[in-house]
Amino acid sequence: MTAPALELCGVVKRYGRLTALDGLDLTVPRGALFGLVGSNGAGKTTAMALSVGLLRGHAGSVNLFGEGPFDPLRHAGRVTLLPQDARLPLHARVGELLGWYAALQGLPPHEAESAVEEALEWVHLADRRLAPVRTLSHGMMRRVTIAQAFLGRPELVLLDEPMSGLDPREAARVRRILRRRRDAQTVVISSHDLRELETLCDTAAFVEHGRRVRQDSMETLTCRGRTLLYHIRGPAPLAELRVACPEVGWISSPDGGRLTAQLAPDGPAAESVNARALPVLLRAGAGVLEIRRGASLESEYLAATRDPAAAVEGGAAELEPPPLRAIEKGNGWST
Amino acid sequence: MRGFFQSSGIVAGQEWADAFRSRRALVLLVLYFVGALAATLLFIKVLHQVENQVESAVGISQSRQAGASTSALWRSHAFREGLIKLAGDDALARDLLTLPPLALFYGWLSFAFTPLLVILLSSARIAEEVWSGSVRFAMFRVSRGSWVFGKLTGQAAQLLVALLASGAAAWAMGWWRLAGFDPVANALVILLFALKAWVYAFAWLGVALAVSQLLTSPTLASVFGLIALMALAAVSGLAAAFTGPGWRSALDLVRMLTPGGHEADLWRLDTAHAVPAVLFLLALGLAYTAAGYARFGRRDL
Repeated sequence: MTAPALELCGVVKRYGRLTALDGLDLTVPRGALFGLVGSNGAGKTTAMALSVGLLRGHAGSVNLFGEGPFDPLRHAGRVTLLPQDARLPLHARVGELLGWYAALQGLPPHEAESAVEEALEWVHLADRRLAPVRTLSHGMMRRVTIAQAFLGRPELVLLDEPMSGLDPREAARVRRILRRRRDAQTVVISSHDLRELETLCDTAAFVEHGRRVRQDSMETLTCRGRTLLYHIRGPAPLAELRVACPEVGWISSPDGGRLTAQLAPDGPAAESVNARALPVLLRAGAGVLEIRRGASLESEYLAATRDPAAAVEGGAAELEPPPLRAIEKGNGWST
Repeated sequence: MRGFFQSSGIVAGQEWADAFRSRRALVLLVLYFVGALAATLLFIKVLHQVENQVESAVGISQSRQAGASTSALWRSHAFREGLIKLAGDDALARDLLTLPPLALFYGWLSFAFTPLLVILLSSARIAEEVWSGSVRFAMFRVSRGSWVFGKLTGQAAQLLVALLASGAAAWAMGWWRLAGFDPVANALVILLFALKAWVYAFAWLGVALAVSQLLTSPTLASVFGLIALMALAAVSGLAAAFTGPGWRSALDLVRMLTPGGHEADLWRLDTAHAVPAVLFLLALGLAYTAAGYARFGRRDL
């Protein structure tokens, strides 16, 4: 059996009196696009820095590829990190700096050259190869830091807030790059943009107060495979829906604006349910505004970290369906 | 997988490139080259004035160029004997009197000021990379030991070039302004002193990088570098002053652990004194760096 790309077991890290990691357990499977979700100070950055040996833990173990903790002799060039707040050397030229990093991680000169070219192409900075780092904008510098993390196609890439400071076009480009990395590399992404993680990642872990709250596949976390959520205008015709799709559990929100279809694991596919449910909804005059598979990662994260009030009532979450566990517990939803 | 020294070589190369890009190399060269040029010019001017006063006092015509009277004086038996008695160390004084005066001045200049310049320019070198976080892009690509050793060798190589440049400046000024200047003899002795000053400065570079590895703030590292310079100079001086028989002989050992404790041996021309001093100073440079690394190797970055 293949060992996970990264495994943290009961890792404890303290900064003076502050405990940043309090027995963190994390398992990152090989080839995964892994999302790391948590509030500020939850321990995501510390966990990443500790994984590559920048920080020393007080207890617990870090295991890379089943070969033990980070060791530059074994892991240089196989594991890379995009640190969150680190500043690149400002006087160096972009290409020269990346070439130096490539050489440092053990790439022979001819491979280093092509690796730098490839990485700069990826982040759309090939034309800035000779530019000094200090002349780049904040977003461009960020792209250079992303490029350095993918130099030489390392097996495990840890990205701490990779999209921070990127304009929408570049963020989309980086997302495309990350999607292409799926299966070829293991990529761990820490981000506060949960929609982004939801679309990118196939596995995610929620971390709070230095502990893992929940870790699962995105499919399971958001119940994508067994839930359809309809945002509708007008009351939901529950009786007609049950007749049209008897094998589906139908639940309506108290205000009638949100309708949840719970699909049995061996039941009909989402397409089949939609084909039967949508005519019923339209006939009943319920305007269908949006249909989505599963709950949002945000609502699940808020539920898992015990902030259901924010999940149901707070700001943007108002448009989101409530966490599935809230539905399952009742909370005024009619079935 | 690359070896320790190969990785260090890559780090040292980048240290050079960064020094040029950041203009640190320019500052280094200006300080050493222009500093040596200015100090040598000042020395020649003062020497000329002293010579003119002596020439007036003995009633001979004043020379138009510095150095003529000094050359004659340097060869006079009475002057040599007087100087030997004044130095208190016959062997050392006899050694030094075989050397050209300008080369001696360059030796004094480089031994006196290089430690200060090394501390000022290198104490913050590692600390500033930790402070900015740029070290975090390198430390998962190379071992901390190779990185620090690369910094040490890169800095040491820059220092050697700077000292050779300062020697060239002193030689050029002497060739232009001193009467009876022997270009070959001066070049050889200046080169010898540049190399000895480099060995002496290497030990101080170890002190600077040790301080730099212990601290995160570049400003604090510079301040503590200067404090370390003064403390080690004081320890060396006090140990030399109070050494004696019995328990006080332990002060000799204390002195041996400071760069200043080996400076006098570097002035000697015989290999019996100079070679052990060179080896000791190189070992001290490495030992100080290793002492800093004992903390840096385990600290959070």
